[in-house]
Amino acid sequence: MRHSEPMRRFVRADGPEKVTGSGRYTADLTLTGQLIAKFRYAEVSHGRITKLDVSAAREVAGVLAVLTQDDVPDLRYGDAVADRTLFARDVVRFEGEVIAAVAATSAQAAQAGIDAIIVEIDELPAITDVEEALTEQSPLVHEGWADYESGWGCERNRNVASFSSISKGDAAAAMNTADHVVSSRFVADGSHALPIEPRSVVAQWEGNKVTIWTSTQVPFKARDGVCETLGLPSNRVRVIVPHLGGGFGGKCGFHFEAHIAALSRAARRPVKLVFSREEEFLAPDRRREGIVFEVTSGVMDNGDIVARTGKVVVDNGAYTADAGFFPQMASMHLAGPYKVANVHIDAHLVYTNHQPSGSVRAPTAPQACWALESHTDELAAAIGMDPVDFRLRNCVDTGDEGVVGQTYDEIGLIECIEAATGAAGYGRTELAADEAIGVAVGWWPSFPGASGAYVKLEADGSGEIITGAQECGTGSVMTLRQLAADELGMDPEDFQIVYQDTAAGPYDAGATGSQTLLNNGRAVQNASRQIAGQLRQMAADRFEASPDDIVLGDGVAMVVGTPDRSVPIAELARSSMNTELLLGHGSSAPVDTPVLRNSTCVGDMGLSAWIGPQFSCHAVRVKVDRDTGVARVVSVHAAHDSGTIINPIAARGQIEGGVVMGIGQALSEGTQYDERGAQRNAALLEYKLQTAADIPPIHTKFVEVFTNDAGPNGAKGVAEAPNVATAAAIANAISKVVGAPVRQLPMTAERVWEHSVGNGEVAS
Amino acid sequence: MSFVIATSVEEALAALANGASPIAGGTDLVVGARHGKFELPPELVAIDRIEALATIEIGADSMRIGSGVTHATLMADPAIVGSYTAVADAAALVGSPATRNVGTIGGNIMNASPAMDTGAPLVVLGASVELARVGSSRVVPIGDLWSGPGQTTASADELCTAVLVPSRPAASGTAYVRLEYRRAMEIAVVGAAAAVELADDGSISAVAVALSAVAPTIISIEIEPADVERGSVAEAASQQCSPITDLRASDRYRRHCVGVIASRAVDAAARRAAGESIAVPVNRALGIGAA
Repeated sequence: MRHSEPMRRFVRADGPEKVTGSGRYTADLTLTGQLIAKFRYAEVSHGRITKLDVSAAREVAGVLAVLTQDDVPDLRYGDAVADRTLFARDVVRFEGEVIAAVAATSAQAAQAGIDAIIVEIDELPAITDVEEALTEQSPLVHEGWADYESGWGCERNRNVASFSSISKGDAAAAMNTADHVVSSRFVADGSHALPIEPRSVVAQWEGNKVTIWTSTQVPFKARDGVCETLGLPSNRVRVIVPHLGGGFGGKCGFHFEAHIAALSRAARRPVKLVFSREEEFLAPDRRREGIVFEVTSGVMDNGDIVARTGKVVVDNGAYTADAGFFPQMASMHLAGPYKVANVHIDAHLVYTNHQPSGSVRAPTAPQACWALESHTDELAAAIGMDPVDFRLRNCVDTGDEGVVGQTYDEIGLIECIEAATGAAGYGRTELAADEAIGVAVGWWPSFPGASGAYVKLEADGSGEIITGAQECGTGSVMTLRQLAADELGMDPEDFQIVYQDTAAGPYDAGATGSQTLLNNGRAVQNASRQIAGQLRQMAADRFEASPDDIVLGDGVAMVVGTPDRSVPIAELARSSMNTELLLGHGSSAPVDTPVLRNSTCVGDMGLSAWIGPQFSCHAVRVKVDRDTGVARVVSVHAAHDSGTIINPIAARGQIEGGVVMGIGQALSEGTQYDERGAQRNAALLEYKLQTAADIPPIHTKFVEVFTNDAGPNGAKGVAEAPNVATAAAIANAISKVVGAPVRQLPMTAERVWEHSVGNGEVAS
Repeated sequence: MSFVIATSVEEALAALANGASPIAGGTDLVVGARHGKFELPPELVAIDRIEALATIEIGADSMRIGSGVTHATLMADPAIVGSYTAVADAAALVGSPATRNVGTIGGNIMNASPAMDTGAPLVVLGASVELARVGSSRVVPIGDLWSGPGQTTASADELCTAVLVPSRPAASGTAYVRLEYRRAMEIAVVGAAAAVELADDGSISAVAVALSAVAPTIISIEIEPADVERGSVAEAASQQCSPITDLRASDRYRRHCVGVIASRAVDAAARRAAGESIAVPVNRALGIGAA
């Protein structure tokens, strides 16, 4: 169902604070007696600690606490695999690993304390090549991997932290029947989420309880990490997120909250950590993973894809963070939203001595989509078919069965392809010889999960939503006002939101997996419906009518069809003080996940989340300077099936932001490593984000297909999907101009030039 | 740490004589120190409020550009855009609006980065630099100023007070083009400036080309009008440079691209010499590089 026009109006509740600068971020907080924290990092990618002596640091003037692994509970933790400790113990496995922490009365004193720590490390050979790390001969990143526990049931072996295999039909046999077989290899570099706000944590103990203000996307997960690593019950740790200055996945996960809480407890003072930009590059365990793809497809002369095999090797980095399900995600994206009857894809998540990988906006998807969609254009070329016609022939539509056996309810991929290519003038526009329009399709799952909210109406008729959800800038929490207002017949601006505080709101998974609207939206609806029921009963009592005949709208409760029998909701709220307070609580109900063919699938983590998948098609016009390889995006047409769009302006903002991030991934953003596994471009000067001056016009079209598999009113997520197909579409445009796909991501100018003059893979 | 705000050139020179380091826009000094390239000098003298350094004076046979003139002024000043267009091309590409509003020509050339944007245009224009110290001053051809990456032949107590640029003949044109990966906050991957003079018959009578980011300093290359006619500008530029491999590009790619860029700079300068109006900067007007 579509909302009425007034409900689609967007007034963003946190807008004025953020725009005027009156809003407060974690780094803005200053507590009485506050100390400054600094970390001592490994600075080598792989080595054995032979000496760690902090005694001199403890004597530095102004230093009130120095911690190492000896000072905290000695246990391993980790989302998918319990493979790391708060501080390095015996072995360091990436350059940004924390060895010790200092809290002191000033930043200078803290640095002096850090400098006084004596660390001696016997450097070991860094394991940096993900394909070599997969071999049986490779040294191990974790000698003791077999003793680690995996709460997620990862399929592990030596340097393989997680493995997944999806299999449908008989790919090998079907490949032999194909008229054409095309094999492709693609290598994607790692990259970064790069939120503008470097992370910050402030911790303060009162008695046996600690309050932690932190720039996280996942306050409950951060709280649970503190509880797990410091041995505290959930109700003694309160995590509050002031305004968050962006995350893009980089602030998912539990990071440094426990370090700062432990420092604060040891120093008996509040402690504050603020990262430099360099630390933000090097230390978090949420980098976008490098991936190597090999994919082979068999295609018939008539255009049918009959078989696909693939191998995916994902660089896990030194620790597993939340990357345990990445093999499944990457496999799904290499299979793609296509009707292929015979598929076999193996995917490996492999330890290296790089910074750990983790959920950055649509993890694995932009890279895998880039690889698959480049390959798809190669398939179309092999049989001489237009690549858009080829996609229309092979892509999934309503009622088709996907690669793991899910049958798709109402979906709009074909409509997306038609909308994006139509608006871009694909096939109809005169293009200069150095220009081309590239097209790619993408998809992204919806992750159902537990999530809660309270709603209350005050005596003056104003409302408050108290939610566990986290706003990371997408506007999804802000959109909750519209859902509550819609249920209660009120105006969105009648509501304030209390959010991102674990002691105030019920559990929510956080700003992760495009899940806020899907899950917390249903919780807010359910909470609001309780109050709506109360209001209908009160109005029914007053007018001697049935509650079923009371409608809520325009701020009044009215007997249906009789405007003279109506009462302002504010008046009912006032009288609630004499009867029963208007309080609602709601939770996201469990969702029936798609039935999977488990017998043909190893490691199905994440696969069942392909409920209500979001689809997209991007058509991108690109101009390539053939003499230098510099590619410039001229325009982007993006069409998305994210179900019902609750808030068009916010949703369009997500598309535009995702596209911009995709352009960066396509052309300029990539981590460069030295042979010892250290990042060479951990600074904004040399890690090239796109700037405002580089961004082309972005045209968005929403294909609103209603499905019962989605969230509130048929809405799916929209935060990650826009990031999936852009790089792939740019790749296909570049390939058309220079005559062959560029098989490395990012497709830097130098790489485009090297490919165009036939030199294949290049180092940088 | 001391920080003195000088209100006259004399005050600034006195501070330098006592060991202070000059700071104008600070766009190299502060950023470099924060990146750990060097320690921030303990004693600084701010020269950004000295009005005498911020003027552009047009003389009979030359122009005197004060060292404190900002990139924002250079890219828009009618006299610069009219006669020394390559300098405006270069200034318009520096950093961002914020950088251009505080960054100065003196700072750019004294920072002596081989990737600086204003250096190559000044070389092809035959510019000189005025260096002052307490009690004396001297004029140095700009090509003699740089001795290596970040190194100049100026002594620590000398302040760059002005850049002197000879007047241009009629029927001449200049241009600066750079290879860039994005449109703002960028450093030249390679760059090239060209100055072209035309004879009465429209043929090229003189040409000069200087290159950035392909050698330890900005370099001037040997080139003749005949090279332009033969279409061998790119070859000449690629042969005469000595680029390095770094995070931004390989030596091989730089050597190739500097030829492409030099050729485009000569072409743009020749078109301007012939009277064609190509807006500043050439990169944007002609869709070069990331444009």
